[in-house]
Amino acid sequence: MTDLPTPPTVSAAGLTLHYGSTAALDDVSLRLGAGVTGLLGPNGAGKTTLLRVMATAVPADRGAFTVLGHDPSTTAGRQNVRRALGYLPQTPGFHPDFTAFAFVDYVAILKEMTDRAARHREVRRVLDAVDLGDVRGKRIRRLSGGMRQRVALAAALVGDPGFLVLDEPTVGLDPEQRMRFRELIATAGEGRTVLLSTHQTEDVAMLCHRVIVMAAGRVRFEGTPAELTARAEGRVWSSTERDPGARAGWRTGTGAFRNVGDPPEGATLVEPTLEDGYLLTLDATSAAASGVTS
Amino acid sequence: MRGVTRATKAMKVTEVTEVTGDSGGRRVSSTARTIRALVPPVARALPWLPLAVGGVAGLLLAAVPRMSSGEPDGWLALLLLRVAALVFGLGLAFLMDDPARHTTAAVPVRRAVRAGLRVALVAPVAVVWWTAALLLIPEGVRPPLGDMTLEAAAITALALAGGAAAVRFRDEPEPGRSTAAALLVTGLVAPLLPDGWTLFVQLNADRWDEAHQTWAWLLTGALLVWAMCLPEPLRRRRLAISTPRS
Repeated sequence: MTDLPTPPTVSAAGLTLHYGSTAALDDVSLRLGAGVTGLLGPNGAGKTTLLRVMATAVPADRGAFTVLGHDPSTTAGRQNVRRALGYLPQTPGFHPDFTAFAFVDYVAILKEMTDRAARHREVRRVLDAVDLGDVRGKRIRRLSGGMRQRVALAAALVGDPGFLVLDEPTVGLDPEQRMRFRELIATAGEGRTVLLSTHQTEDVAMLCHRVIVMAAGRVRFEGTPAELTARAEGRVWSSTERDPGARAGWRTGTGAFRNVGDPPEGATLVEPTLEDGYLLTLDATSAAASGVTS
Repeated sequence: MRGVTRATKAMKVTEVTEVTGDSGGRRVSSTARTIRALVPPVARALPWLPLAVGGVAGLLLAAVPRMSSGEPDGWLALLLLRVAALVFGLGLAFLMDDPARHTTAAVPVRRAVRAGLRVALVAPVAVVWWTAALLLIPEGVRPPLGDMTLEAAAITALALAGGAAAVRFRDEPEPGRSTAAALLVTGLVAPLLPDGWTLFVQLNADRWDEAHQTWAWLLTGALLVWAMCLPEPLRRRRLAISTPRS
């Protein structure tokens, strides 16, 4: 675990959670500071479970964590964590007959904002921030998928929480919407702690100052995107044929093969990407799990 | 994006934080303000369509003895009143449906408060509905009001408990359909139970009082299950006390 550039605002130690005999989280420890931290991992890695634990939606079996100095292991502490939290779940749901404004206003009341005038100002602010100011009077059932996702983000942002937990917010969005979402998340990450789960390594490369890689319920890497990319330094090469010794290889648009793994003598090394580092981290994890040495 | 509202928010959060660390009176007053503000959106979010369908269908069933020609039949009146209560209960089974459940999973206002508010908003409607259903039964064949109200209350509690249990154990945002189906199956199977066990006893049966004691237990049990399934997070094992690494 490398040092954080800012003091930690969220710390977790030894978080463990089992579903039956399966360890969804296995002794997870991490520290988050201000800015956007990306959480990468394959399906079933435990990302959503970790986010749900951090959002106090489900308690861990063991371990502890604090959010902005609040400990959620007590009822009062959990309430305080929730007051400092914005949460966008993987599959956000809505009351479809509510307008975008009414829904975010409802969430604002659930965040204990009882002063009507101030609350309405705040709802208008977050809807403008996610570019939904013009459709705030439209019923949610009439909004597109991307717009609904932005309503959910507005609901997470309302009240200006210090800790934002976003579970795959760009899934199912078209490239333009994804770009817009990245912009919103980057802005949201200014001055607050954002934990962003994603399958998109580009999201992490473009948005995050820190990255955590999870596999099989454990943290396999924690550091900067540059450090993750550096793991693939000297381990990516191009060739005219697919190299059978490569861990992964694919034909690129130019017709050449891009290979990731242990290059043969004299291979033409190419610049690695964050995705290469991520693939090799996962590969090392599965090799270690099956007892194979690389 | 932040600007002025950072101050607004800071003001609100400060207010809330003060409340948590302050006197019980202020906490109660803050909760009361929140509940008052929640009434309109929660009322709007209620599943009014299934409630209306269940209510209207139930009233039509209860009205059959009054509308039919000839001498009212006590047995038919009792049967129809029970079926009416079950049909209204099917509508009530949707009361715990909350499509926004996951989006509002991590807010300070507790789930139990929201569920309680839903029930409180529907309770007057249910009382008026039940009164109307009873009044539709001709007076001469109207079964004992107290015992029938107990049966209807138990069916209502079962509908609520089923919904809350489905949410708790399956994390289902909209358990209405499965709960209604389970309630319907229960309602259809219950009369088939052996004589010593049946809940739907006839007016002159020796077991009337005994069956209604069982209804009372059922009501109590269902309310307990409902209340126990409301608190969240879903699993309430305490976190081990340890200090996070800094």
